[in-house]
Amino acid sequence: MTTRSDIIAALPLDFAATVDPVRAAPSAARATPNQPIARRRRLHKKPALRNRGRAAHWTYDTSIPPTRRDQLQVRRWRRAAPPSDSADTSPAASKFAKYDIKAEVPAYDDETYAQHLTHPDWTKDETDRLFATYEDCYGKWPVIADHYVADSHKTMEEMKSRFYSISATLLNLQTPMTAMTASEYSAYDVLKSFDPLKEASRKKLAEGHLRRPRNEVDEETVLLSELQRIMLHQNTLDSEREDLRRRLQHPVADQNGYQYSTSQALTTLWQQLLAADRMKKTQRLRPLDISGARPSQSGAAANLPGADTTTSATPQTAQQSVVDMSKQDLQRFGVMVVQAGQEKLPTGISFASDKLSKPRVAKSSLQTDKIAATLTHIGVPELIPLPTLAVVEQFERIMAKMQVLLDLRKVAEKEEQELRVRGAEMGV
Amino acid sequence: MPAAPSKRVKGTQIRRHFLIGNTAHVLPHPGFPDPPPDGHTKGWTVYVRPLPNGPDITTWLKKVQFKLHHTYADASRTIEAPGPFEVSETGYGEFGVEIRLYFAQESGEKAVYREHYLVLAPYGPDDQRARQERENKIVAERLETIEFNEPTQEFFKTLTSEDQFNWLKVKKGRGKGKKPDYIFEGAVEPTAQLPEKAMDPGQAGAGGAWSVQYERQVLAQLQQSGATLDQMIEEEKRGMEERRRRLEELGVAIGAK
Repeated sequence: MTTRSDIIAALPLDFAATVDPVRAAPSAARATPNQPIARRRRLHKKPALRNRGRAAHWTYDTSIPPTRRDQLQVRRWRRAAPPSDSADTSPAASKFAKYDIKAEVPAYDDETYAQHLTHPDWTKDETDRLFATYEDCYGKWPVIADHYVADSHKTMEEMKSRFYSISATLLNLQTPMTAMTASEYSAYDVLKSFDPLKEASRKKLAEGHLRRPRNEVDEETVLLSELQRIMLHQNTLDSEREDLRRRLQHPVADQNGYQYSTSQALTTLWQQLLAADRMKKTQRLRPLDISGARPSQSGAAANLPGADTTTSATPQTAQQSVVDMSKQDLQRFGVMVVQAGQEKLPTGISFASDKLSKPRVAKSSLQTDKIAATLTHIGVPELIPLPTLAVVEQFERIMAKMQVLLDLRKVAEKEEQELRVRGAEMGV
Repeated sequence: MPAAPSKRVKGTQIRRHFLIGNTAHVLPHPGFPDPPPDGHTKGWTVYVRPLPNGPDITTWLKKVQFKLHHTYADASRTIEAPGPFEVSETGYGEFGVEIRLYFAQESGEKAVYREHYLVLAPYGPDDQRARQERENKIVAERLETIEFNEPTQEFFKTLTSEDQFNWLKVKKGRGKGKKPDYIFEGAVEPTAQLPEKAMDPGQAGAGGAWSVQYERQVLAQLQQSGATLDQMIEEEKRGMEERRRRLEELGVAIGAK
């Protein structure tokens, strides 16, 4: 049983001088003049300690042989003969031996060194010392960098590169490259591809990143968001620029138009054009029975509606009036003339949006479903709200391709069936 | 018919864009009876409108008949020219509105039916829905193009007269006794085609969002879809080649047996 006197004897301290602060006179224990003395009062009577017989015995052990290389003196309290546990008879040192991990260090001998591992910056001595330090410091490079002592100063990256290159060469010697397994080869590759300069700069960059001042960070976020906004609007900007460019590039007349400003000159021009037209195979112009041609420069015709110059309602003049209307007017009033080669116009009234919806419906509902599925798959919306000529054309093209695709698929199914039958035949 | 049908202008087709659609608001909302009748949560307006910079729609459209759901009193509403062709009502359910368009006398055409599905709930991608809820205004409209094939001569004349744009122009008197000058003072030139740029996207209900720009967007989207379709066709063709090869192999193998 350990008593207080045992403890005092064991510790090499001089206890005589110290005074038990609790039992001492209250006046000496005041920390500050105004602090009340807390006299320890027992609120209940503590039962006197009874169980003195069964206390465990502990011995103070100073003689543990250190298993470490550095002469560390270890003193330890050991429990003597515990009542229940009898298996614990091994010396305490080995209890912790399993935690004594050694780092994996590739080993080389002198000949190998002389043959493969020489390096202009590293002497054999330094290399050996590096490896010893590595083993000591359990492969933790910051620690190794600190502990490494040599004549020439080596940075951590240099040491790392030397170590890895030696490891790689040794690995290569052990099992030649062609005989390596995948994991071995990947390890070898990693070791080989260590670049000290790159690593050093990378770490410096990371460090700088860590220590960035606040305003730099803010500046960078603002710039990044700007950039993102620009990228997003790139498309719209591009299309607007294209628009502008197109408008600026209006066709420039290569001839001076002023020679035709008098009405006489205009009539002569008209006659010339008429004559030229008569020469051609298909006559596009018709001789007017009114004198004076009208100026056909673009933009000037906006104020003259073309159809009302002839007032008689004969088909001849109505036909003429279509042709007479300048192209601009035709556009303005939405008049479309049938071109040669186009199919006949439907009679009565038709709607353009029908052209976008009717082709989607097929004879059988199964086909309709297939068409609908394919359309959604390629991203054509169910309702296209803008049925202009160009859109309708594009849609018709898509529908034609769709028909081709569906036919191909049908043929594919039949061929698959055929193949299966033949395959079964083969098996038989 | 008592009078012989007048001759038609061959080989021509006149197209007119117009908008069919509806707006919807959650009640209460100015412009609709307050408090709303029992159970009616939305107020809506279904309309037929011209393009904001286009020729007058009453040139060819004389009367519009909206056929609402049979549960509405007076389910068949008729609006004649000139008034704005729209019907405002309150309700809670979506249904298909049958719209009957009556044309001008000189066209000699019968009336046609179009259907428009009344949309009352927010729709579309998330941000669009959020915007609709925020502004408490849902617009569902589409551009329709009516094509008059081989119109009669009188019709052709009315449809190509400059007077159609008068409704956009401002009268400027020129002194007594003379006809007032009509001068166009708007931002966009009046034309029957789509305007170059969206005029005023804010007025979605008034058709300001339709433009050549939008057309280009739709075209780009369709082109992309076409490209995807091309890819799929390529794949199918490759599959076909593959199958043909296998068929041949099998045929040879069977023959050799």
